[in-house]
Amino acid sequence: MIQKSNGLSDVECQEINLFEQELQSYIGSESGPFLSWDRVNRAMIRHWCEAMGDANPAYYHADAAAQLGAPQNAVVAPPTMMQSWTMTGFSGEHPPGSDTRESMPVMPIFDRQGYLAVVATNCEQEYLQPICEGDDINGRSSIESVSSQKTTGLGVGYFVTQLTEFRNQRDEVVGNMRFRILKYKPHSAVS
Amino acid sequence: MTNITYRAVQVGDQLPKLAVDITAKLITATAIASRDYQNVHHDQDAARALGSPNIFMNILTTNGFVGRYVTDWTGALGVLKKVAIKLGAPNYPGDTMQMSGEVVAKNDVDQSVELKVIGTNDIGHHVVGEVVVVLP
Repeated sequence: MIQKSNGLSDVECQEINLFEQELQSYIGSESGPFLSWDRVNRAMIRHWCEAMGDANPAYYHADAAAQLGAPQNAVVAPPTMMQSWTMTGFSGEHPPGSDTRESMPVMPIFDRQGYLAVVATNCEQEYLQPICEGDDINGRSSIESVSSQKTTGLGVGYFVTQLTEFRNQRDEVVGNMRFRILKYKPHSAVS
Repeated sequence: MTNITYRAVQVGDQLPKLAVDITAKLITATAIASRDYQNVHHDQDAARALGSPNIFMNILTTNGFVGRYVTDWTGALGVLKKVAIKLGAPNYPGDTMQMSGEVVAKNDVDQSVELKVIGTNDIGHHVVGEVVVVLP
């Protein structure tokens, strides 16, 4: 609840309180699955490793990957790539068969209120089994929490925490993620 | 690539430091490789309009560098179980991220070690991370 302070009028306080109530109503509701455009593949793994400077042989060579339990002739994907497989990419769209709802349904509500900027602040990933070449990854998400309004170095906004569980084509959980963003109104544009 | 064994690791061991030169090329290439097309990772004008002086590294890439930093040390037989990061000062082009790490705990039950990984740039801590990796 916003208290009447820092010069806000009654009407402004009421508007913010209604907005925050609307945000809170999204907590816990699950969306998904969000599918991957591509199965886990060597080309995308190589592009990632090339850009990151990662020379781990398990990401390039099946014989090295086999020591980590990968199937025959398959490489292992960097575990930290988990989230990338289900990203929308250039189109901004999830592949056909995905849930058509927003994976983070509070985002349009923030945009409508002028909280247009976003920056990620925390990412906690747990890896339960290797993600290997040929795997087909999907994710299901829910909003864990939305903070009260915060004034940060970047601007005024809200921290949103999302939980995502990632599964493979055998419906086995391969990992999970807690992801926190700040959705905010910047103090000012940089000229 | 040599492999670190669980027996050889002691709490307090320091990982070899790694310096990562942050360039616009690196920021955009890693954003795209991680499938992140948010404009603040490739469009300087868009970044400025949103209050940032320049494009900056996306969180998936920071996560990737933390993972890479740890498996560079363990060798290919190290299995990441957890990477938990908190971001601070953004990585902008022209900066250098200095990565360091330390073993903070050992768990005999599953032969895992817990590491604290820090990446600093000219402004301060870009990332503080906790990593759990299982060793042979």
